[in-house]
Amino acid sequence: MTTQITVKVNGVEHFLDVEDDALLLDVLREKVGTTSVREGCGVGACGACTVLSGGMSVSSCLALAVRYDGAELTTAEGLDETDDVVSSFVDCDAAQCGYCIPGFVLMSRELLAENARPSECQITEHLEGNICRCGTYPEIRKAVAAAAERRSPR
Amino acid sequence: MGDQVGRSRPRFDLPGRVRGLVSHVGDQPVGTAAHVALHRSTAPHARIGEVHVDEALAMPGVYAVVTGLDLYKQLGDRILTGPAFADQPGLAHEKVRYVGEPVAAVLAADLKTARAAADAVWVDYEELPPVYDLRDALDGDAYVHDELRPSSVFGDLKHLRGVRDTNVNYEYNLRHGDAAAARDAGAATVTGEFWAPPTHHVPIELPCTIAWVDAGRLEMLTTTQTPSYVRQTVSDLLDLPLSRVRITTKPLGGSFGAKMYDRLEPLAAALAWTTGRTVRLVASREESFLLTTRHGAGVTSSMTADADGNLVSAIADVRYDTGAYADVGPRITAKSGMVASGPYRIANASVRSRCVYTNKPSAGPFRGFGVPQVTWSHESLIDELAHRLGADPVEFRRRHLLREGDEAPMGTTMHSADFVGCLDAVANAIGWDQPIERGDGRVKRGRGVAVGVKAVLTPTIANAVLQMNQDASATLLISTVDMGQGSDTIMAQIAADVLCLDSARIHVVRADTDATPYDTITAGSRSTYHTGNAVRKVAEAMRTKLIGFAAQHFGADDVTLDADGLHHGDAHVTIPELIHGHFGARGATVTAEANYTTEWVPYDKETGRSEKATEHWFAGAVGVQLTVDTATGRVHLEHLAVAGDVGKAINPKLVEQQLSGAAIMGIGHALFDQLVLDQGQVINGTLLDYQLPSIKDLPDKLTPIIVESPHATGPFGAKGVGETGILGIAPAIANAVRDALGVRITTLPLTPESIVAALERSDPWTLEEK
Repeated sequence: MTTQITVKVNGVEHFLDVEDDALLLDVLREKVGTTSVREGCGVGACGACTVLSGGMSVSSCLALAVRYDGAELTTAEGLDETDDVVSSFVDCDAAQCGYCIPGFVLMSRELLAENARPSECQITEHLEGNICRCGTYPEIRKAVAAAAERRSPR
Repeated sequence: MGDQVGRSRPRFDLPGRVRGLVSHVGDQPVGTAAHVALHRSTAPHARIGEVHVDEALAMPGVYAVVTGLDLYKQLGDRILTGPAFADQPGLAHEKVRYVGEPVAAVLAADLKTARAAADAVWVDYEELPPVYDLRDALDGDAYVHDELRPSSVFGDLKHLRGVRDTNVNYEYNLRHGDAAAARDAGAATVTGEFWAPPTHHVPIELPCTIAWVDAGRLEMLTTTQTPSYVRQTVSDLLDLPLSRVRITTKPLGGSFGAKMYDRLEPLAAALAWTTGRTVRLVASREESFLLTTRHGAGVTSSMTADADGNLVSAIADVRYDTGAYADVGPRITAKSGMVASGPYRIANASVRSRCVYTNKPSAGPFRGFGVPQVTWSHESLIDELAHRLGADPVEFRRRHLLREGDEAPMGTTMHSADFVGCLDAVANAIGWDQPIERGDGRVKRGRGVAVGVKAVLTPTIANAVLQMNQDASATLLISTVDMGQGSDTIMAQIAADVLCLDSARIHVVRADTDATPYDTITAGSRSTYHTGNAVRKVAEAMRTKLIGFAAQHFGADDVTLDADGLHHGDAHVTIPELIHGHFGARGATVTAEANYTTEWVPYDKETGRSEKATEHWFAGAVGVQLTVDTATGRVHLEHLAVAGDVGKAINPKLVEQQLSGAAIMGIGHALFDQLVLDQGQVINGTLLDYQLPSIKDLPDKLTPIIVESPHATGPFGAKGVGETGILGIAPAIANAVRDALGVRITTLPLTPESIVAALERSDPWTLEEK
């Protein structure tokens, strides 16, 4: 069965016919075209499919699209190069292949919205569910601290 | 020369990578493609009876169901492919050889339908005795393959054609002096049984291949590190001239050896060609675990010193479990076997290294190419030998490390490989000479080091084509695949430096075999040296051309090139003016090409030695300070320093990331990362069950150290670094655990359980060979 839903993705409204069992991940990739949202494991264990819904992180590989009718979603494409988190990741070389990085960027946005001055330990705790196989973790940790500094300088 | 080499220039497309705008293979729209799902074997070893496809075929949306027999009828023995042995069919034919092997392919309108239909296929099997592990394979009488079938790729495997009644598809032997006699006469010998389990690469991007037929040509877009190899494979498979096969790639979302040689590509090509449809194959994460693995390896080895502490003997028996298909296992077996005694001066050495078939998913290349498994052995042995002799483990290694001009046990003279510099750098970084607070409660502290040596893939071939555009931007055509290591960036830096340009003005074209020239593979840490040299040469050829044009322009031979353009005395012309003037057109291009090829001397048949086994060596070292909780067995890494001799860092930041990234991957291999199989079945093949290093597994301090001992013939003195960092991680950690607790563990990974068990054992040396 299909249902029509309305979602706002990066500020743009989309009217979509979705199967009841369609995953938010597949709908975003195939119907909206936001391919920064990526399948890495299909079981919510790697974080590559992370999106923000109303500012809260969601593993879109585990989320049914029909449940996001009316939602406001953010993907990494929706952040421009002047965004504090994006620019900090760029300045800290916090991407190698970069495949997992959009997920880290969105998790970092969520963290900084909740906690403007996270400690190194809090950054680590918040990002532990995301896997970067290239091993960019030192640069990622630096980038999140730099973004916090940019958002609210001491 | 310009100022581009030696600078930490960010990857040119970094903002796009951060925002997810760099597109990958799986992002490409495929229109009305047939989506492919695979029905997989439920038996580890069985003859295939009837394959029942009717129910699947009757499902709405299913276009076709293809079996191994269907492909065999059309393509014959050509369905068997592989880099060392032509032993692997895209779909199993006659026999299945591991649980999860593809038996039938369903083509359907969408992936969901295809997967449902694949579940509706069933197969009659006549089960055969399974070969689950090395012991079954070497001691039993069941054989995974009826006979050996060497491919045409490596000439030195030809003599193995038709060999029957064995699971050993390749054996490398090194004989240097009389190692057994020297061991017996020696003053101190340590002996060990080592085991490194199979692991998986887990690049986060899943493998994906799209193939179609266009005007009688087979075209493909695929996640591969080896586009030139895949082109040849598809050409052989379909019996097409190379000109009628086109392989294209996109940047890879990581690979580490997972996406190379024959993965989804031969099957995708066969399905597209035989059905005429555009086909899209994507592996789920669970399926990716079945595509390839890192070889589990057992090593039985010893190291002996004489009364003066000289190393007089090293002996190793190495068994690589290559699973159901050889892939490149025979190459791994030789290249790693030849360094099984480590980077040391040893008077006598004996190595037997075997590549062994079992009924398990095939093992292939993985960052380090089998060397981490033998490094696990030699770095544990030399460490233990130092302890037994009452010597300092750093000093003892220093005394015996190969130096410039020394002949290594496998017969090749060592050059441009600064083992001592790497070891000193990590020892210094972790404060080896400083007093250590051991801890007096349940938490104990220790330090350990390890040194690694690996040969660069030789012989190999690299080509480069450079187009200088009239506006003094340039387009570089190479078939090197950027999978995160940053090859596009450093190749642009090399070309730019020669031509005194800003590297940001050089675009590197993604591999497309219709346009980019042959390059052996993007693997084995070979690209910086080989492709980098081809790029240096092509830029030099371009410089010569431009200087020639300028000589005509000035009417004089004495011309120089710098960042402002071309000069003769006080006369000056910019590159845009020069090319515009030469051709009379804006937008004109000037083309140059270059090749760089390395040669080797094949191993002597009797001794396994070679005066030139490789073009050059990678030298790396690791130093660790850690604590162990003796109650829980948990290891905490306080400081890990990893050094690699890269000759010259073209881009220091990218080199540091290769070192630290490899170290983080190696921490997983040391402490928890392993693929667990039970009766041939992968039982932790999901990311809920398979543990990978997360940001929580970072050491308190991680120090990547660049050692620059310039390589005489490297581009600007450079050589590669992709694997150097991973070689010594596991033994350095185990050596630090030994230092902390006094127990020696020889089975990876060092799980908390294994450490607690080792503390409770009286004899610290054990074997648990799987």
